[in-house]
Amino acid sequence: MTLLNDERPSQAITILLVEDDAPTSWRLQDALAKAGFQVTAAATLAEARACLAQSSPRVLLTDLQLPDGHGVDLIRETRERFPDTEIMVISILGDEESVISAITVGATGYLLKDAFPTDIAATVHELVAGHSPISASIARFIVRRTQNNPEPPPGPPLNTAKLTPREIDILWGIAKGFSYAEIAGHLGLSRQTVPGHIKNIYRKLEVHTRGEAVFEALQQGLIRL
Amino acid sequence: MKDDVAAKPGFSVRQRRRQQASRLIHYALIQALIVIACIFVLRQSPPEPSSEYLVTEFSLKEGGAEHPVTLPHFTASRFSMNDPPLYTGRFQWPNSEAQRAWSVFLPRFSNGVEVAVNGVVILDSRRDPAANRPDRNAPEIAVIPASLLRDGLNNLTIRLLVWGPLTGFLDRVYVGPDEMLRPCYEQRTLLFVTLPVVFSAWQAILAVILTIMWVMRRHEPAYGVLAAAMALGVAQAFLPTAVEQSQYSRLNGILIASAPIESGFVLAFALLLFGWKWPRYGLLIFAPGLLLVAVGLIGDQTLIRESFLFLGVPTVGLYLVLLALIVAQSVLKRQDVASFIFGCAVTIVLTCWIHDLLSVLQITPDRRIFVTRLSYSAMLVAIGAGLTWRFARALNQVDSFAGRLVTQVRQAEDKLKASFAREEERARAAALALERTRLMRDLHDGLGGQLVSIVALSERGNAGAPIGEAARAALKDLRLVIDSMDDIGGDLMLALGSWRERAMAQLRPHDIALDWHALTPQGLPVHPELRPWHVIQIVRLLDEALTNAVKHADARRITVSIETLTDASGVDYGRITVEDNGRGFAIAPDDPAAAPGPKAARGLRNMRSRAARCGAELELVSGAGGTRVRLKLPRRFPDSDAAAG
Repeated sequence: MTLLNDERPSQAITILLVEDDAPTSWRLQDALAKAGFQVTAAATLAEARACLAQSSPRVLLTDLQLPDGHGVDLIRETRERFPDTEIMVISILGDEESVISAITVGATGYLLKDAFPTDIAATVHELVAGHSPISASIARFIVRRTQNNPEPPPGPPLNTAKLTPREIDILWGIAKGFSYAEIAGHLGLSRQTVPGHIKNIYRKLEVHTRGEAVFEALQQGLIRL
Repeated sequence: MKDDVAAKPGFSVRQRRRQQASRLIHYALIQALIVIACIFVLRQSPPEPSSEYLVTEFSLKEGGAEHPVTLPHFTASRFSMNDPPLYTGRFQWPNSEAQRAWSVFLPRFSNGVEVAVNGVVILDSRRDPAANRPDRNAPEIAVIPASLLRDGLNNLTIRLLVWGPLTGFLDRVYVGPDEMLRPCYEQRTLLFVTLPVVFSAWQAILAVILTIMWVMRRHEPAYGVLAAAMALGVAQAFLPTAVEQSQYSRLNGILIASAPIESGFVLAFALLLFGWKWPRYGLLIFAPGLLLVAVGLIGDQTLIRESFLFLGVPTVGLYLVLLALIVAQSVLKRQDVASFIFGCAVTIVLTCWIHDLLSVLQITPDRRIFVTRLSYSAMLVAIGAGLTWRFARALNQVDSFAGRLVTQVRQAEDKLKASFAREEERARAAALALERTRLMRDLHDGLGGQLVSIVALSERGNAGAPIGEAARAALKDLRLVIDSMDDIGGDLMLALGSWRERAMAQLRPHDIALDWHALTPQGLPVHPELRPWHVIQIVRLLDEALTNAVKHADARRITVSIETLTDASGVDYGRITVEDNGRGFAIAPDDPAAAPGPKAARGLRNMRSRAARCGAELELVSGAGGTRVRLKLPRRFPDSDAAAG
């Protein structure tokens, strides 16, 4: 991953940060504010909803375990009301399942709680630029669900049917630690197209709307009109 | 039963004896009933026409003398082919009967007849092969040509042709309308000529079946012996009987020897079938029969006749009695249906044999109807039934045995499954306990020490960097432990992928570049036997190499190369190389004084120990241009953590 220039103008970028742990919240606010983002902080789901009622942020950065509910609900609501808002999950270590759950309701990125301040800002910048970050462990989690196992691996259900073989190849490359450039080289792609593929993967894993759910149910013959 | 004998010998023996005696009496009573039934049946005379057509008054001219006789009549002669006894009688034929054909019907005679009406021969029984067998009671009938008959009395002359070994016999003669006589003739033919042929055919089939059984089961000679008996019987039944004094008379002599040999075979069969030990001189059973064959071949008629009468007939009787005893013993011992049926059949044959003997010796007044051959066929029916029964029972036993076997196998299988499930459960519990222990040790080794050092640092009041660094190290280690728990399907590349991300995050603040080179497209070979603890050891080893490069070597660039190589024997193995462009250091782990520093020395020792535990080879090269750590992965990762200290 290449680091983006911190000096680029980011005044216009508004961030709604939802995090109940005060020190973590401060740390993230500091890191983001230092990079020039305009940060609004909320500690609970109710506060976050109140903020969302006033204005739509460019980026929603939310923890999942909140005192008065689950971040997944907030993500879903935001996704439906503000389709242009980029949504990131604040992740701790080893919780790929939570990240995947968030992705299926519309998150397009994640941020590690203990990331270095420069990395935090860089990740948000990349997301706004249309580059969804993806870690090796999350890629691994997804590709394991594309394999036809008789026993599905534990974790949330994930519909990987829409992923193309090329996208699965990219996920394998990421899981094995190859850089975007290396993946592009192996697969005969341009390096610039890889982030777009990853964004597509996120979108395909998302179960978007009620309409789409009905369409899928029709396709699978679960309901009849 | 055996247990009873052991417990109360006196009582049991007495009880058993009583039981045996009662069984014997039962059996004897049933056999007696059968004998009575046989006698009753034998006393029934075969079908005869109305007595109004009977001609009994004859004048017999024999050996020059002439005297009146009343039929039935036994002659004294045993051989009279040249000068046969001549019976002359008369019968009434009214002219009114001209519309109907008249016949002469001779129900029974031995051995041959030549019938003439008014001096013209109308019948010679010697042309009929069936009639020439003295052991069959073949009747004869002949239509009298109408032109021969005269109104009123007509002459009937019967020449009785006798050839050994029996004396001549002529039963009552009927002369009357053909339509009245022929039904009786047909009935007798059916009973005494056709039925034996049918039985003989049956015997032939049984002989073939038994021969096949014996060929397929050589260890059961009983079948072979019985097949031989049947084959002999068939040969006897279908070979033509010689009439004239010719070379055939020798054949005739051999044929009459067939009965003792057949009975010998049947006796041998019974001995073998009922599990008797074959007697030492068992082959002597066949001695009388073979002696008769020899006599038949070389002796003259008198000798043949005498030897048959005094050797053959008693032999058959003796064997029948022995047979009855053997079967009776078997019935008492085995109590099975087959023996019982066989026993009844033997009784019938024995009764018939006695009946025939008495008839031959002219002790009982009767019409010389021989029934032994016929009843012998009855015995064959019994044997056939018995063998079929035995075969069916054997099949049932095989079925039930197979069924039992299936049940037992299923039970054993269930038991095995249960014990396998138990064993699996136990193994899983053991594996779980082992994994828990390992996890605890891993957490303790890395995280525990780092947390303690964080506590120590914070207690000293040292704010800032050292605490943060220690906490970061602790987090990194926790991430490693959690990461190693994930199932990576033996692909170490998946673990290295996560490690690369952590390494980059670690190096970024130090402004050190990480070059990542997967020299072969697939990276490293897949190891299905790869376990989480292998992954942890390898990743920690790489972490230590990285830490050395960052902290002690002051490197600006670190290169990680991953490749798959093929050894001399054609097996793939993986190699991971971590190189830095730092200061390098002297490697002399055996000499602590020359070591770069106690901390670094400990790091090197740890790296060697971790490599050894995974069965990997570690190669360390350090110099002014930098340090190179090269880890050669094993072809197969060890199952147990034997080297763990």
